[in-house]
Amino acid sequence: MGDLARAIISAASGLRAQAGRMRVISENLANADSTPARKGEAPYRRKIATFQRQVDRESGAEAVTLGRTARDKSAFRTRLEPGHPAADATGMVPLANVNALVEQTDMREAQRSYEANLNVIGAARRMIARTLEILKA
Amino acid sequence: MTGRIPSLDALKGRLQWLQARQSVLAGNVAHADTPGFRPRDLVSQEAGGGALSPVATHFGHVGAVAAGRPPGAGRVAAFETRPSGNAVSLEDEMLKLAETQIEHQLAAGLYQRSIAYLRTAIGRRG
Repeated sequence: MGDLARAIISAASGLRAQAGRMRVISENLANADSTPARKGEAPYRRKIATFQRQVDRESGAEAVTLGRTARDKSAFRTRLEPGHPAADATGMVPLANVNALVEQTDMREAQRSYEANLNVIGAARRMIARTLEILKA
Repeated sequence: MTGRIPSLDALKGRLQWLQARQSVLAGNVAHADTPGFRPRDLVSQEAGGGALSPVATHFGHVGAVAAGRPPGAGRVAAFETRPSGNAVSLEDEMLKLAETQIEHQLAAGLYQRSIAYLRTAIGRRG
C-alpha cells in the first residue's frame, strides 16, 4: 500500500479519535448539572477520553485509537438546596464534578486537532491528484 | 542499469521520499494529543547517489555546489513538550506538510516535463 494511502489512514484514525473525544466532552457538558435522584447516591462522574498508539495491521500505518474512558476522581461540587430530594443533613446537594471551562478548553483542543487531520487528508489528496495528472500530459 | 533514464529515476525517488514523509507527518498529526508521543521526521535523502550531482568537465566550470539540505538536517529539537510528555507542535507539522506538498508538486511537474520531452524526441506531438 502506498505511503499516501497510509497517510490518509493515519489521519482518518486521528479524526475518529478526536470525534470520540468530542462525544465524551459533550457527555460531560450535558451532565454538568446532573444531581442524584435520592439521598446518599453519587452524581455524574466526569469522563476523560484517553488516546493510545496503534499500528494499523493491514497497512502498517501509525494510527491512534481511543482508549478506555477513565473517570475523574476529583471531588464533587456541592450546592446548598435543602428542599432537594438528594440533599444531606446539612442541606447540601452533590453535583457532577464537571467544570464547564475545562470542557470548553478541551473542546477547542479537539477541534484544532481535528482540523489538522483534515488538512493532512487534503494535502495527501492533492499529492495523489498531482501524481495522476502526470498520466494526462 | 542500461536503458533507464537517470533524471526520471531521480525524480521517481524524490516523489517516493516525499510520499513517505507525508505518511510520517500524518502519524505525527494523528498523535497530536497522545501522551508521551514525540514527533518524527524523515532524514533528508542522499542526493540521488550522485546520479544528478554536477560534475566539472571543463576548466571553465565554476565549482559545483550540491543542492539540497545536508543529510541529518531533519532532526530538529522539539519546540515544546507539554506536561503529558507530548511534543507535537501542530503549527510545525502544518508547515512541513505544506513544504512536502510544494516539493511534491515541483517534482511531479518536472517528471511531467521530462515525459513531454521524451514524447517530442520520439516524434509525437504531446
